[in-house]
Amino acid sequence: MKSVASRSPFPVTAALVAAGLVLAPFIVENSFQLRVVMLFLIYALVAMGLNILVGLAGLVSLGQAGLYALGAYTVAVLSSNYGFGFLPAMLSAIALTAIFGVALAYPTVRVRGVYLAVVTIAFGLIVQNVAIDWRSVTGGTLGISNIPRIDLGFGELSNQGLYNVIAVVLFLAFLLHHNIMNSRFGRSMRAVSQSEIAARSLGIDPTARRVLAFVLSAVYAGVAGALYAYLNRYVNPDTFSFADSIRFLLMVILGGSGTTLGPLVGAGVLTWLPNALQAFGRWQLFAYGALLALVIFFLPKGIVGTLQHWGGLLRNRSSKRLRVAEAWPKPSDEATTLLRIDRQRDVAPVLSTKQLTIRFGGLAAVSNVDIAVERATIHAIIGPNGAGKTTLLNALSGFYKPTEGGVYLLDKEIGAQRSDHIARSGLTRTFQNTELFADMTLEENVLVAFDARYRGGLMTAAVRLPGHFREEGQMRARARMLLDYVGLGDYADEVAKNLAFGHQRRLEIARALALSPEVLLLDEPAAGLTHAEIDDLVALIRHLKSLGITVVLVEHHVDMVMNVSDMVTVLEYGQVIANGTPQEIQDDPRVIEAYFGGSGVTPLEEEART
Amino acid sequence: MSAYVQYLLSGMVIGAIYSMVALGFYIMWSAVRAVNFAHGDTLMIGSVIAVALMWSGAPLYIGIPIAIVIAAVFGVLIERFAVRPLNDGPSSIGWMLSTIAIGLMIEAYVTISFGSDPRSLPSPLMDTPIMIMGAGVFIHELLVPVAAIALLFALDGFYKHTMLGRAMRAVAQNPMAAGLMGIDVRRMASFSFAVAAALGALAGILVAPIVQVSATMGVILGLKGFLVAIIAGMSNARGIVIVGFAYGVLERFVEGFGNTALREVVGFSVMIMLLLIFPKGIFSPKEVQKV
Repeated sequence: MKSVASRSPFPVTAALVAAGLVLAPFIVENSFQLRVVMLFLIYALVAMGLNILVGLAGLVSLGQAGLYALGAYTVAVLSSNYGFGFLPAMLSAIALTAIFGVALAYPTVRVRGVYLAVVTIAFGLIVQNVAIDWRSVTGGTLGISNIPRIDLGFGELSNQGLYNVIAVVLFLAFLLHHNIMNSRFGRSMRAVSQSEIAARSLGIDPTARRVLAFVLSAVYAGVAGALYAYLNRYVNPDTFSFADSIRFLLMVILGGSGTTLGPLVGAGVLTWLPNALQAFGRWQLFAYGALLALVIFFLPKGIVGTLQHWGGLLRNRSSKRLRVAEAWPKPSDEATTLLRIDRQRDVAPVLSTKQLTIRFGGLAAVSNVDIAVERATIHAIIGPNGAGKTTLLNALSGFYKPTEGGVYLLDKEIGAQRSDHIARSGLTRTFQNTELFADMTLEENVLVAFDARYRGGLMTAAVRLPGHFREEGQMRARARMLLDYVGLGDYADEVAKNLAFGHQRRLEIARALALSPEVLLLDEPAAGLTHAEIDDLVALIRHLKSLGITVVLVEHHVDMVMNVSDMVTVLEYGQVIANGTPQEIQDDPRVIEAYFGGSGVTPLEEEART
Repeated sequence: MSAYVQYLLSGMVIGAIYSMVALGFYIMWSAVRAVNFAHGDTLMIGSVIAVALMWSGAPLYIGIPIAIVIAAVFGVLIERFAVRPLNDGPSSIGWMLSTIAIGLMIEAYVTISFGSDPRSLPSPLMDTPIMIMGAGVFIHELLVPVAAIALLFALDGFYKHTMLGRAMRAVAQNPMAAGLMGIDVRRMASFSFAVAAALGALAGILVAPIVQVSATMGVILGLKGFLVAIIAGMSNARGIVIVGFAYGVLERFVEGFGNTALREVVGFSVMIMLLLIFPKGIFSPKEVQKV
């Protein structure tokens, strides 16, 4: 998405949209057509909001009509019964839809995104039910019919005036939609939908980002509904059915979810298409279903997404070049400055566990483990398969909660903390099976990890406050720097899933380093690497140590462990059976027993034989 | 007193229907981590076909099995053509949209061909009500909760004591490992959708004499069934039936003392509250996230 934006500069797109909005009233022939244009803009608003949810966060709402109704009824009731003016009524609609957005999203998106879809359908149906039955407020099936025209202080607005208001709101919403998509918020939402685990390990709270996406989509729908009430000057429950929710979703998918212009295109098609579908008569609903099915199977990227895809293919053919990975690590002054840990807060040990026990059901995967990792050392954890190494790592990084005992980072108990908190307080990790944001570029992958470093909040990103571009540029430069550090600078614009396996490992390490961790946990980083790559990995680990970073290494590659580690802890059946320097470990009879069943051969000798 | 008993009994009837729909969601979810979002429509298909066959003169004992078999075939087709091609990864939403699209088309088609006037399926067990503590209830109505509980035990026995059931559980826990053990994972997926759809159709036929049969009858029942499955935790058949009954009874009591809109608002709010307290569902075992 970012690369598309850079190819066709957004200001041009925005200027074209603005020109279209200015010219539309002069093109239409009569007030009926102007009304259709206004309806189109209102639908486009709902679709843009939904695009943030579907296209970025990868969630589905099937109840946007309910939120749209909530906005419409809020304005209808407040302006007709209580004499609210335009702004107070709009703000109330925004506040109310935002509150419902949080209430619907927070309980549902924590476990599975699918749940949100189900709960929003129910919400949509309930809003309709309440609108019918709460007659004293909503007017029942008759609805509310005396909604005043907008009065901004200089008399009631005409149709043209109303158009101007709607057009301005749409344009601002369009800018906001683009700005959020192309900011750390949009990026992290996409990251969460691609790999929730990786996002967590990089300090991002997936629930918060998903809730934010849904609240934004809810507010967009609420504002659209409010404008609809002013346009129609009459609301009744029939306007807000489940079929409308489907239509809004179809707009997003048809136009191209995750694209800037997709919602506008989709809303346009589906505003004018129903007139064409009139011919279908009773088959209209069937036609919607068929259209949705056709789009999903044959045009999953939507209209805009497909066009961009073709455009991209054409362009790539002309500018295909070979990318080169460079040797790594490639320390630069900047990278060294970014990663170096100042030793002021010198406490020993930097990471430790006390009587840590983790049970799954009755089975203790880790029991009574005491580990102390000293600052700026390389501490390896080894053991036979199933010894509990990865479980221990997951407990250290907050993915598993200790059943008993504690985990301490810089003398603070972190056992009960969430993994994203732990990542932000200085402990990051990589994964045994690499967890990348597969559809994002390498640069974006690293930028996601910088999320916690940004000082600018949602407002900064949404309205592009002065600090935004400077900060964004700074983070991009840092991300490039880290990619250079692992020798992947040339690939910065490549999509992560296209990388070779060894390069994926490097990217994952670069990403984990972006948070400038005190402690880096590497879960079998050498698995699947060639000999030359392992040598580079060793050099990297040594360099990180020289910068004051503590490295905890879970690894099967005994040769490498003995070569690089300062301390080794050996686990067997979830318990520590030995702890010491590599030399001590190699001579420890219990370790030899554990690995080789008492044959009296040391790991290194075994390695040499094979 | 008789009012309470009445609410309790009718709540158990509707709760049993929710349970059976929810069990369908549970079966599908276990097999492929995706469901037919329009599962409510299989319920509708079951009762519409049963009604249509009855009106064309076929006796019930022929019409009902035919309706169930057609629904099961429909379930298999949905899995093969709408879910399987679009279910790639935990965050994919394609299957959700495709099954909704097919649901819309079927509802529209049935509305047109079956007519939009609701019809009813007369049950031979609904002639005279029997009185229980002052509350009138038809034998057919009593049959519905009994059927739901019997189905629960049948399902439990099937999963635990047959090769096929064990294979399905294996697939649910680890499709990769199950495949390596020689289990045909795809066939298990088809079979699960068939069983879920058959269960849905049976629920539709059981509920047909009580509610009106129409093209859209499955929408709400399907939705509430899904909510019940989510609240119960998607992984525990007994829990699902317990939540289903509880939800039905709660609904009837709220409706009895308030109105239908209040019923929906209260029912839904309770669901949201429960999800807030039990994010993974009430009866969900401590699920360990694989990292």
